[in-house]
Amino acid sequence: MKLENEEALDHLVICHKCHTLHQEIPLEDGSKACCRNCKTVLYRYDSRLAEHGLALSITALVFFVLANLFPLVKIEILGHEQFITIPKTFFSLFENGFYIVGIICAFMIFVFPLMIVLLYIVIFSLLKMKKGKKASKELLILLSHLSPWSMMEIFLVSILVALVKLIGYAQIHMGVAFWALMVFVLLDLYLTRTIHISEIWMLRKRLFLKEERQ
Amino acid sequence: MIEVKEEELLRCPVCEAVNIDKGKKNVCRRCGSAIYKHKHFQTEKSWAFLITAIIAYIPANLYPMLITKQFGSTSGSTILGGVILLWEHGSYPIAAIIFFASIVIPILKFIILLYLLISVKYPLGKDRRVNKHKLYYLTEIVGPWSMIDVFVVAILAALIHLANIEIVAGTAATAFALSVFFTLLAAHTFDTRLIKEHR
Repeated sequence: MKLENEEALDHLVICHKCHTLHQEIPLEDGSKACCRNCKTVLYRYDSRLAEHGLALSITALVFFVLANLFPLVKIEILGHEQFITIPKTFFSLFENGFYIVGIICAFMIFVFPLMIVLLYIVIFSLLKMKKGKKASKELLILLSHLSPWSMMEIFLVSILVALVKLIGYAQIHMGVAFWALMVFVLLDLYLTRTIHISEIWMLRKRLFLKEERQ
Repeated sequence: MIEVKEEELLRCPVCEAVNIDKGKKNVCRRCGSAIYKHKHFQTEKSWAFLITAIIAYIPANLYPMLITKQFGSTSGSTILGGVILLWEHGSYPIAAIIFFASIVIPILKFIILLYLLISVKYPLGKDRRVNKHKLYYLTEIVGPWSMIDVFVVAILAALIHLANIEIVAGTAATAFALSVFFTLLAAHTFDTRLIKEHR
């Protein structure tokens, strides 16, 4: 294979699932390219990626705040009412002396998801305003290191499992935060899984290349 | 003009850019992260994390995960005990989820990582038929789901907090959380580039 220079490597894509090499082709707006070996989506083209991403990440932040402020689940057991919120889940671990589990949980269900959403907001607004060539690079690197550690969707399933265990012992009422958390998880999954990080890198390259040429 | 072979191209683990393999020290041209390639590097870290995780998994199964204090009497249940209890109560789907999340997935992950780490240094017999990139991808996708049990314990402990009935997390919760944490670290420090060298 012959290449003009290192920049030409940007027209190649390696599938993240099976490591097959592909040549990048220009796509129509809103369509996607799939791996010919395993049919995984390689990248998509969205001409308004920054706007869409920014809108989605701000919505995600609103739902994250809602999910943390209000009770997730309320139960009635032997005439007593109890409820939990997301922060209460890991604070009660601290109170019982389980510091290690408490810290791990606090990071996985609170700190990392919050940081990821904030990072998306900052990155997309930087790209929207066409500023911060260096900052956006550093933030994108940080983002890809953080994203495997956010476990909101697993926490959501855990709530359901815990509630099924309680059926028969207590009366269960779903709180506002539970639905907010569900919306947050859907938005978070869209942001981290459907929008590939390489699409944001491509967008960044398109923006700042144009600037250099002018 | 540069001429490269297809096998010489590698994918940056951080930003997914395609790079040319330049020997010992590869640095991604887009984000500047190191792409490890050197044979004697990087498996040690992964081994260390994996062994720690396996050691932590032993107390996680021996000690109680969940302690129920009911009207003065205390009873603890281990991970497997909890699964059996749920099965006997008739909640089969939940028993199956917990069984998969806290027993099948961790052990499967240990085996896959052990296999990948060994086969990177000493190629095993029928290696070429297995797509190791897909195996690695599998561990990355299913790995975090073993945290379900820890979260369930945390939720129950926070929720059931009455004068007569109380649920407290057990020693195994710490051990299990650490075990999952270290397997995740082992998987992340494992360099997928090493797979390619023996294909």
